[in-house]
Amino acid sequence: MTRTSPARIGVIGLTALAVFLPLGLIVYQSLLNAPFFMPHAPGVGAFAFIFADSDFWDAFQNSLVIAASMSLIAVPLGGILAFLMVRTDLPGRRWIEPVLLIPVFVSPMVLAFGYVVSAGPVGFYSVWAKQLVGGVPWNVYSLTGIAIIAGLTHVPHVYLYSSAALKSLGSDVEEAARMTGSSPFRVARDVSLPMVAPSLLFSGVLVFFLGFEIFGLPLVLGDPEGHLVLATYLYKLTNKLGTPSYHLMAAVAVCIVAVTFPLVILQRYLLKNAGKYVTVKGKAGRQRPLPLGNWRWIAAALLGLWLFLTVIVPISGIALRAFVSNWGEGVTLADVWTLDHFREVFAQPTLLRGILNTVLIGVIGGALAVACYTAIGLATHRKNDGWSRFVDYLVLVPRAIPGLLAGLAFLWVFLFFPPLAPLRTTIASIWIAYTVVWLAYGMRLVSSSLLQVGPELEEAARTAGAPRGRVSRDVTLPLIRYGLLASWLLVFMIFEREYSTGVYLLGPGTEVIGSLLVSLWGSGGADMVAALSLINVVLVAVGLAVALRFGVNLHD
Amino acid sequence: MNRSRRTLLAVAATAALVPLLAAAQVPAGYPANYADVIATAKKEGKVVVYSTTDTASANALIKDFQALYPGISVEYNDMNSTEVYNRFISERAANAGSADVLWSSAMDLQIKLANDGGALEYASPEISTIPAWAVWKNQAFGSTYEPIAIVYNKRLLTGDEIPQSHADLTRVLTTKLDKLKGKVTTYDIEKSGVGFMLITQDSKQNPKFWDLAKALGAAGPRFQSSAGTMMERISSGENVLGFNIFASYAALRAKKDPSIGIVLPKDYCLVMSRVMFISKTAKNPNAAKLWLDYVLSKRGQAQIAASDLGSIRADVEGEMTAAGISKTLGDRAKPIPVSTDLLGYLDQTKRLEFIKQWTAAIKGGK
Repeated sequence: MTRTSPARIGVIGLTALAVFLPLGLIVYQSLLNAPFFMPHAPGVGAFAFIFADSDFWDAFQNSLVIAASMSLIAVPLGGILAFLMVRTDLPGRRWIEPVLLIPVFVSPMVLAFGYVVSAGPVGFYSVWAKQLVGGVPWNVYSLTGIAIIAGLTHVPHVYLYSSAALKSLGSDVEEAARMTGSSPFRVARDVSLPMVAPSLLFSGVLVFFLGFEIFGLPLVLGDPEGHLVLATYLYKLTNKLGTPSYHLMAAVAVCIVAVTFPLVILQRYLLKNAGKYVTVKGKAGRQRPLPLGNWRWIAAALLGLWLFLTVIVPISGIALRAFVSNWGEGVTLADVWTLDHFREVFAQPTLLRGILNTVLIGVIGGALAVACYTAIGLATHRKNDGWSRFVDYLVLVPRAIPGLLAGLAFLWVFLFFPPLAPLRTTIASIWIAYTVVWLAYGMRLVSSSLLQVGPELEEAARTAGAPRGRVSRDVTLPLIRYGLLASWLLVFMIFEREYSTGVYLLGPGTEVIGSLLVSLWGSGGADMVAALSLINVVLVAVGLAVALRFGVNLHD
Repeated sequence: MNRSRRTLLAVAATAALVPLLAAAQVPAGYPANYADVIATAKKEGKVVVYSTTDTASANALIKDFQALYPGISVEYNDMNSTEVYNRFISERAANAGSADVLWSSAMDLQIKLANDGGALEYASPEISTIPAWAVWKNQAFGSTYEPIAIVYNKRLLTGDEIPQSHADLTRVLTTKLDKLKGKVTTYDIEKSGVGFMLITQDSKQNPKFWDLAKALGAAGPRFQSSAGTMMERISSGENVLGFNIFASYAALRAKKDPSIGIVLPKDYCLVMSRVMFISKTAKNPNAAKLWLDYVLSKRGQAQIAASDLGSIRADVEGEMTAAGISKTLGDRAKPIPVSTDLLGYLDQTKRLEFIKQWTAAIKGGK
């Protein structure tokens, strides 16, 4: 065992500081009776208040219902989708793949707003449905509506994990089943999906977890009928008492973390086991697509329906809204067509700066974030000691905190931690918050690249006398440069999409599209929301196109 | 260094003109020593404003101010009213740089900040030109005059379906239930501080307020957190009727959107005013004074009226200004006074009690 180098301690120490400072502030704040920077006294009054508030329990229950139904919808659909895309001769698989991933990279705020415009009570599609069948057979504002939409938009998460698992398995077993006369559906149900059961279970837990934290969809869709979930309840507490009740918000956040952190640990455990399962069972042999026969039309219809509901309906809604001045039943779209919203967006310095900042934070911020993740990755690479295990768990912590409150905690850090104060009104504050909030995601990307480097190459360099730093610089990093490039693109898209973390950090100089959307939605600039959303979708699409152009494997 | 010396020389060269120029800049009727305020303000060079008025609406005002006082730039930051409050208290607590001027439609929060010692006492030379109810202790000033309206969808409501007053609103809600069920919108008073303030004012002004609440409950109201989302819904026809919406917002939207109709209630019409004050810890207090005086001046108020925010001065004409409204509504216009009365409902117990009563009345109507 070599002595732990100062650089390594520095990296790990900084990471721990970046994670625990905001979390510590939240926990501390939850145990006070007023904002920590005002006169206050310690106590558990905040918890007593929210536990006595019937809204909290409603929200808690709704969160559970939404999270559970999301898992129930997303897991079977995602599994089937993975089977169809990886294992069968479904037509058009190559171009469908990137489209499948759109819901992952489009901000839920944008999707939700799109649903209001296209499928709300007088939305474009609803009006057509009314003309066809005489009524609107759905209600996107109901709890069921929100849960179904949330479930459908999380299908890609399940798809990503189960398709990766399927790809690592040989297809001989399935061929055997097919030859003995099973239908493709039966093959999927009885052979393929059970083989990837650990991955399905993992993604089920992941989706449940994401459902528990869901914010953008219920913020927009839950308002008209007053459905609250925990994250929107937290947001509502900003105003409920007239003046901001940070202690109550922090207490809700602590409650959310109490549920999500065990889920994160469970995910980690499941992911480890899923890996084991695959290596024992899998013999990545030759894979031949399974002929679907007549089933291909049913499969294509299922896929088409999902794509229509999850991608086309909301995105077309937002696109239409961006080009009309008003809409609704009895409005002829040709009369209200306009480019004014875009003119207005480009005439407002704040919004313009927001667009520029969003590009900057994705491109430059994304690159810097990947650099940080790589530094952390290298600090634990090939070192199986206590420090590495500590970092393993450390990077998972921020995932458990809702982005909204993580952003608020970072605002406090920037305000009251003097060395960082100058950064507060700059885009660097947003970058730090994003980088910490997406720590777990980024670390997974980077460490999967690191794991692909054969240890013998590094050992050879070590034997030749190179110190650790040199090995990293001259051997490991050059070998993973394509992996890092791919990580950069994926982080770019996630940073473009992020919306909740920046809400409380939003100010002059720190505008990004995501938080501007939340703020404009609150102040009611629907025109601007639509135009900015469309710009956001275009930015993400450019990222996706570049990723495909460079052949980035979107399946990490 | 070099540059400032050259400027100095240039100033010296035109020394004879300087007093004249400075004197010309002091607005008519202002004290003579106002020239000093202007001179110091120019040295400060900027004024930082936190505001709930969106940049688009304030743009004309800002440009005109900068034209009047070249060399003083306005760092204008628009955000929602909670954000204005939050930023100010936390930045003050952290001793970080904050706004010089706060300008917000959350009248109660503004008074709270001023009452907690956050505002600079300043006897603006414009005080005498605005109504007494809009001035609190020479610290906080009402700067606009914005009637609160009933807004409806012109395509979908006609004739006696359009309420003309609060009493009429109760009638329409009760008699046109089949048409209005699930299509009436107003503020969610738990999510919007402004919505809460307006409804509590209603409860004071409207003798049959709780009947209205019950009738509203029966209509299956759609509560929203902002005027913009309400108007979007009313325009699309998803909702057809909304109340307690700023007429200024609605008028702005109605210009571009033929679906929006506006009624100023005839029995009483609440009028709110965006409250402005200078921070006690302002880094640029003189520039802040210029800004405040300018906004209250006739010239500034004319810009405010042109941007549909509603001038508070009696000498600025316009349909939606204090002068215009007093012609149409007379004393039925009920301005919400800028005073510590607004603080009552910031008391947690009292606030929650009202919310509980309101929720119960809404439920009781169902």
